Amino acid sequence: MALLEVEDLSIGYRTRLGLHRAVEGVSFSLEEGKSLGFVGESGCGKTTVGMSLMGLLPRNGEVLRGRVLFEGRDILSISEEELRLLRWKKISMIFQAAMNALNPVKKVADQISEAILAHSSSVSKAEASRQVEGLFQLVGVPKERMRDYPHQYSGGMKQRAVIAMALACKPRLIIADEPTTALDVIVQAQILEETRLLQEQLGISIIFISHDISIVADVCHDIGIMYAGELVEYGSREEVFDSPAHPYTRALLSSFPTLTGNREMLKPIPGEPPNLVDPPKGCRFRERCQEASHECSLISPAWTELFPRHKVRCIRFERKKGPQ
Amino acid sequence: MKEETGTSFLSFDGVSKFYLSRGRMLGGSGRQVVALNRLTLDIRKGEIFGLVGESGSGKTTAGRLIVRLEEADRGIISVEGQDVTHLKGKRLKDFRKRVQMIFQDPYQSLNPQLSVLDTVSEPLLIHRVGDRLSRAEMVMNALQSVGLSPPGDFVHRFPHQMSGGQRQRVAIARAMVLRPDFVVADEPTSMLDASISAQIFNILLEMQKSLGITLLFITHSLAAARYLCDRIAVIYRGNLMELGPADDVIQRSRHPYTRALIDALPKFGQCGETERFNTFLKAERESSSTVGCAFFGRCSIANRILCSQEVPPFKTVSPGRRVACFFAEEQGKNLTASKTCHYGI
Ligand SMILES: Nc1ncnc2c1ncn2[C@@H]1O[C@H](COP(=O)(O)OP(=O)(O)OP(=O)(O)O)[C@@H](O)[C@H]1O
Ligand SMILES: Nc1ncnc2c1ncn2[C@@H]1O[C@H](COP(=O)(O)OP(=O)(O)OP(=O)(O)O)[C@@H](O)[C@H]1O
Ligand SMILES: [Mg+2]
Ligand SMILES: [Mg+2]
Repeated sequence: MALLEVEDLSIGYRTRLGLHRAVEGVSFSLEEGKSLGFVGESGCGKTTVGMSLMGLLPRNGEVLRGRVLFEGRDILSISEEELRLLRWKKISMIFQAAMNALNPVKKVADQISEAILAHSSSVSKAEASRQVEGLFQLVGVPKERMRDYPHQYSGGMKQRAVIAMALACKPRLIIADEPTTALDVIVQAQILEETRLLQEQLGISIIFISHDISIVADVCHDIGIMYAGELVEYGSREEVFDSPAHPYTRALLSSFPTLTGNREMLKPIPGEPPNLVDPPKGCRFRERCQEASHECSLISPAWTELFPRHKVRCIRFERKKGPQ
Repeated sequence: MKEETGTSFLSFDGVSKFYLSRGRMLGGSGRQVVALNRLTLDIRKGEIFGLVGESGSGKTTAGRLIVRLEEADRGIISVEGQDVTHLKGKRLKDFRKRVQMIFQDPYQSLNPQLSVLDTVSEPLLIHRVGDRLSRAEMVMNALQSVGLSPPGDFVHRFPHQMSGGQRQRVAIARAMVLRPDFVVADEPTSMLDASISAQIFNILLEMQKSLGITLLFITHSLAAARYLCDRIAVIYRGNLMELGPADDVIQRSRHPYTRALIDALPKFGQCGETERFNTFLKAERESSSTVGCAFFGRCSIANRILCSQEVPPFKTVSPGRRVACFFAEEQGKNLTASKTCHYGI
């Protein structure tokens, strides 16, 4: 059985203009010890998916439909009390821009040991600070910097501290939301490398969220491409990158340059994503799609299996595979 | 030594900038940070010149010195042969009309109280260009040229009514409206999605082509630099490490730090067997000396004695190509990436 199974998850935000359908019919599953990356442009609903798995949607956010099975239990229907027991101990999250959210007036090590003490009543103070030392070593922050305050850390060190915090209660699943976005390439490469190692050593499952496909490609076994609240393509890293199927995926890939060969013009995706208070009928990408036909505005595309795991939602594939 | 071809537009000659840091402990004594260390380079008229390095390497400092948000502590910055290092008064104001800067964070660099019209026309007002009507027209043209179209839809918007990409376009329009000769673009897309970044890059390329603007493009991504730049300079902790035509520096890098930057780029696609250079030490090497190569502490190929004691000269390895490394000639290994491998920007 998969560690996490998400079925038909749909989430909306109540706004002045109406219900904003931020996530629509998202399904995926994640095996123990595997990593899954969600990619898509800003506003496509990545953070919303992550927050819902933590049971931390903002007040105006609501799960409209769907199931989230974690260790076989539907965590959308359990009590807040039970959820509290899961959160941080079983599922933890590295929040987007979390490195700026460290408490500035507390020593970094103290913040982490407080997190440990808050979630396990059996742990003594001395034991907690021993664990913190181990965590610092694990994420590569020198021991002698434990007693520092956050402002004395560089961006990369703060991000490592945040990762240590997420690891503090030895969770089975970590949701990492844009964990390297504010960092430069060198530090980013180090953090990605460490993330990979941590995952291999500790067997933790990771959901990696980023708008940057190149980063997700670096760490994840499986990739889910999101557009305007929907998953549009899903598969192993090799399947998605070697034979990208959805026009949106292909368009995303062509926004990245190469280092050798001719310098070809990058072809950015024209236009903007649709308004999700009143989402368009049919395919949500069709207005920006170079390959759209009239049908795309009529029919909402269904999943087509290209390979056992590689799936795409685009009617061009439905036609190819459909009954003759 | 000026071995290069093309007319120099802007040059740094031994430019240094120092800051006093507040020290690690609160209230600790200020330590001097060398943000730029005797930087010497030429930027040619009409080119896009890339300044590449990790965080803290002094890229923004270089940009701020050019547009005179700050003044150099040592050395000379000149534009078309004229020393502009310490301009004052009216001459400074005239100079500022010719050089503009686009900042990293479009969320912070735009005044939330000002509409797009006010934001983009502000430089025109400051420099008393045109009348109300002609200013409005210049604003419309600038918005059109950065792809905010139709401009009428945007002029009355405020920053919070726009996406990050739209805001950065407004910032570019503001920088371009005076038709400057020179623009510093400081990591203009680091907060944006790749697709939006690509749009912004293409706008900058278009500006260079159609308006003949000279650009300094600041980035930590060699992949972004390769796409945009004619030539690039790689700096580490304020020191120039490698300089040359963009393709040459990337495909035939000679400096171990440049190679570390290549290794660090996230990549995807059909990359085949991309050989890593592995020139970057995981843990910084202890080094007590303040002499020697700036990169010594992180360099996996360093000679412990030579590199810690002597500053490598910035020598020419081929026409227009300069490298500050004792082992530059021995670094014959070239980049093996395939043409279908894509890199993060
Ligand atoms: N509390 C909220 N109330 C109303 N709308 C919201 C709220 N939070 C998010 N949204 C909207 O829901 C959509 C999805 O937001 P989400 O933060 O999940 O996107 P994202 O993919 O994480 O984007 P980014 O890459 O910018 O972080 C966006 O259009 C956003 O504006
Ligand atoms: N006002 C300042 N006071 C003290 N130190 C400063 C100041 N501005 C910059 N520095 C220091 O100068 C060095 C160079 O900083 P700079 O901002 O130019 O780097 P950068 O290459 O632009 O980095 P990034 O990629 O993070 O923007 C750094 O060590 C920085 O901490
Ligand atoms: Mg997000
Ligand atoms: Mg900077």
